[in-house]
Amino acid sequence: MRSSLRMVLRDLGAGAAFASMGVSGQLPVWTLVLYGLALVCALFGRRLFGQREKLTALLLLVVAAVLGMNVLAGSLNLVVAACAFAGLISAHRLLSHPGPATDGQVHLSGLLMVAGGAALTGELVYGLCLVAFSVLSSMSLALGVVEEAVPEGEPVPVREVMSPLAKGLAFAVAGAVAFFILFPRLNWNMMGLRASPGLGAATAGFSNTVRLGGTGNIKGNPRIVLRATLDPDPEKEELEAYWVGRTYDIFDGQEWTSIGGARGSGDWMVTLRPGSEGLVHQRVELLPAYGARTLVALETPSRLGNAAVHSQTGSRRARIQELGGGEVRFLDPGIAFSYEAYSLPPGGSGDSFQKLPSEEQDALLNLPQKLDPRVAQTAARVLNGEREPLAAARKLAAWLQRDFTYTLELGGDVEDPLADFLFERKAGHCEHFATALTLMLRTQGIRARLATGFFGGERVNDSYVVRAGDAHAWTHVLVPGRGFVTVDATPPAHRASQAAQILEDLLSFYESLEERWRSAVVDYSFRDQLDVARALVRPPRGQDDDGAPSRLPPLRAWASAFVAGAVAYFVWRRMSRFLERERPHDATRFVDAVEAQLASARLERREGEALEELDARLARERHPLSPALSPITRRYLEARFGGRPLRKGEAAELLGTLKRAIAADARRAAEEARVPRARAS
Amino acid sequence: MNQPARVLSPVPSPASARSAMERIAAQLGRAVQGKEAQAQLVVTCLVAGGHLLLEDVPGVGKTTLAEALARACGLSFARVQFTADLMPADILGAQVFHAQSATFQFRPGPLFRQLVLADELNRAPPRTQSALLEAMAQGQVSLDGATYPLPAPFTVVATQNPVDFSGTYPLPDSQLDRFMMRMSLGHPAPEVESRLLATRGGVPPLDAVESVSGPEEVASLRALAAELKLDGAVADYVVQLATATRQHGDIERGASTRAVLALGAAARAQALWESRDFVTPGDVRALLVPCWAHRVLLRSAVQGVSARDEAAHLLEEISRKVPAPR
Repeated sequence: MRSSLRMVLRDLGAGAAFASMGVSGQLPVWTLVLYGLALVCALFGRRLFGQREKLTALLLLVVAAVLGMNVLAGSLNLVVAACAFAGLISAHRLLSHPGPATDGQVHLSGLLMVAGGAALTGELVYGLCLVAFSVLSSMSLALGVVEEAVPEGEPVPVREVMSPLAKGLAFAVAGAVAFFILFPRLNWNMMGLRASPGLGAATAGFSNTVRLGGTGNIKGNPRIVLRATLDPDPEKEELEAYWVGRTYDIFDGQEWTSIGGARGSGDWMVTLRPGSEGLVHQRVELLPAYGARTLVALETPSRLGNAAVHSQTGSRRARIQELGGGEVRFLDPGIAFSYEAYSLPPGGSGDSFQKLPSEEQDALLNLPQKLDPRVAQTAARVLNGEREPLAAARKLAAWLQRDFTYTLELGGDVEDPLADFLFERKAGHCEHFATALTLMLRTQGIRARLATGFFGGERVNDSYVVRAGDAHAWTHVLVPGRGFVTVDATPPAHRASQAAQILEDLLSFYESLEERWRSAVVDYSFRDQLDVARALVRPPRGQDDDGAPSRLPPLRAWASAFVAGAVAYFVWRRMSRFLERERPHDATRFVDAVEAQLASARLERREGEALEELDARLARERHPLSPALSPITRRYLEARFGGRPLRKGEAAELLGTLKRAIAADARRAAEEARVPRARAS
Repeated sequence: MNQPARVLSPVPSPASARSAMERIAAQLGRAVQGKEAQAQLVVTCLVAGGHLLLEDVPGVGKTTLAEALARACGLSFARVQFTADLMPADILGAQVFHAQSATFQFRPGPLFRQLVLADELNRAPPRTQSALLEAMAQGQVSLDGATYPLPAPFTVVATQNPVDFSGTYPLPDSQLDRFMMRMSLGHPAPEVESRLLATRGGVPPLDAVESVSGPEEVASLRALAAELKLDGAVADYVVQLATATRQHGDIERGASTRAVLALGAAARAQALWESRDFVTPGDVRALLVPCWAHRVLLRSAVQGVSARDEAAHLLEEISRKVPAPR
């Protein structure tokens, strides 16, 4: 029972260590699957490799060869391959026959895995996995020590163990935190190919292309992808604003794309359209959950710049590049980005249409080759002769909002998703509404395009946050003299995130933790550490009596050195005392258990009375427990001082005898207490 | 001189050793009634190969006890009354001129017995005391350039009166250290005295003592005891006790190395009472006071009974404070 609990803790600890690598999202999927299976088997006590450990170890060679080939082929990073291999070694150990050596190997491979995890990611989730590993493995180790100390057959003295165990766990957690804070500084993550930050796959609803008919549930994801401060501050709790990322002008019946390639080779600042008075200034931070490199700004972005890319080794200034569809993208990868943006006031102003290349102007009227003729007929019927672009767009949007249902439950790819939406299902999400509006306008000769980004903004302190679930698509209608004006065909109630409030609150809490973590730990780079260290030892600016600047470190440096030295000395003392501690004799642990049982029987002991003295006294007093205790005492003395150690299971057997004798004595005493005494009459 | 009535086979095991020791102790109990614990100590000391110092007022049975021990064990016995004019030759023996062969021949003194009772040892002059103590330490006598081995087993039981020191030569500490144990008999309990009076009616107590052992058996017991296992932890414990006596604030001089060895040897013999072939800390604690109380020198200049009681008290305190191995 005790042993199985220790094994479960050990296996869960190893699982947490593997998860610390898995959360990076960089391990090959098959390693995740293999490890998961191994862990489940181990937790159910199925040690599949227990009988043929050496033979099954050959599998690791095969896996190593596969990983090596992947590395040589360039499809796998060396660090990732090493981490995956460490995980598989751990999996093999999990499935092997349990024993002291295997236990040590599982814990050691766990340490290797958390080190690997540090190389792959420094996110908060990794920190949580690391702490989980530290706690679970420490508990497993501590339980092992307790089991060693407590004789076979004896229950673990939980109360006595709790206090030192709690101290040990606190030490383990502190060690894990220290490890986490110090380890990512080694810059190993630079070697890894970062596929996506944080929880693995990108969580934002924003994507490079828009494809209708796909399945998905982006509305329910409340992770914060964007944080922005606005000037002037609208001072609203809920911001009903469109944050545009990019626009699309070509629809092939299934997917939206943009024409036009990269403009320029990358600059520090990109001007999209002429500015004017009353621009809205934004300081935007794209958080790791965003998972893309496209800059997002309030409609209608006029200028983007002062960009910085944040990696785990620090932050640096970044160049940005304008692409087709008005998209502006970071050239360098990073876990998060920040920049400034200027936007024109909502509603559109200034007509930049004339500046567009002719092919882009034509694309705004482009229709797919196989467009269902009912689309144009329906548009004409709804518009009923309305030709003014904005009025027509609003009329169609109102019709769509009235007659169509918003849903995220889609049936999968269909041949003509637009016809399916308009004439069959009559239900879809924002991309369906926006696509339908855009194409219906185009069938009537009105120029329009699809815009994607986010809608909304929730005030948190002095800034606004936008969540992954706020990802949105809408229509830009080209209005002569005003330029592109936003018209949203999606029913208003379904534009913002649809996540449950409690989930949002929980995620908000997590996001705030992660934000603090990133700013206080992850972004606190090796350079920052060096800066602090330099500041610590920098001589004071004051001058001494000779007028020359002092070359000695300041008092705080001496104090810090003293504190560090004292802590190191204290730790060394404790550690050396612990390591030099003599392991108690088996017979000593046995006599401890005997005395614990005697104490539980409330047998009164004299001060400093040894077991043999107690035994002799009980024999003199003809105590009922004496017949049971004497052979135990004799056997203890033989085992401890006579060179005849206890046989396997003998301690449990003797203790069982004593336990039964104590129970019988207690029953006898209880029966005697129940017998009524004769009353003198 | 008593000769052994029968020769018993060597003692093969701790269990039979215990039986033999109980036999001897029972015979001592016949001679000196109501002193079972002391009788047990005497036998322990004999089996451990040590010499015994009996310290008590006259008339409590010291001489009887020693003579009973010799008789029960079948050992040759001599009693020497130590007086102020006793010379070394009186106990060691002398070279006597043999007229017929015109040579000197060695005539052994009373020391050449297996059990020697040195009665009132402190009354003899230091020269004589030293001669005896040398024989105790070496097991042999050197005289006029020749060495004469003493019979085996050889044991000295010495007595001294702890209250009447006038005209005596108190034993120096170095000589006291030669005695493995020191013990007192004390007056018997009143009921024991009454029983003695009612039952014996003047019959010499030694007549009731039978010879239940022999020199070979005593030698076997000693050999067996010397071979008993003394675990390293127990040895460390003895040394820690000695160290504690040396560091105690009220003790001028603590236990010597000879004292450490004596306690170990005595504890081995003590283990035989439990039919054990190994020594426990309990064996050590049981003999701490008899083995060491006369060896530690207190800072206070108290002499006599109170000093011995004080030493015993300090040793008991030390045995409580020094943790025994578990």
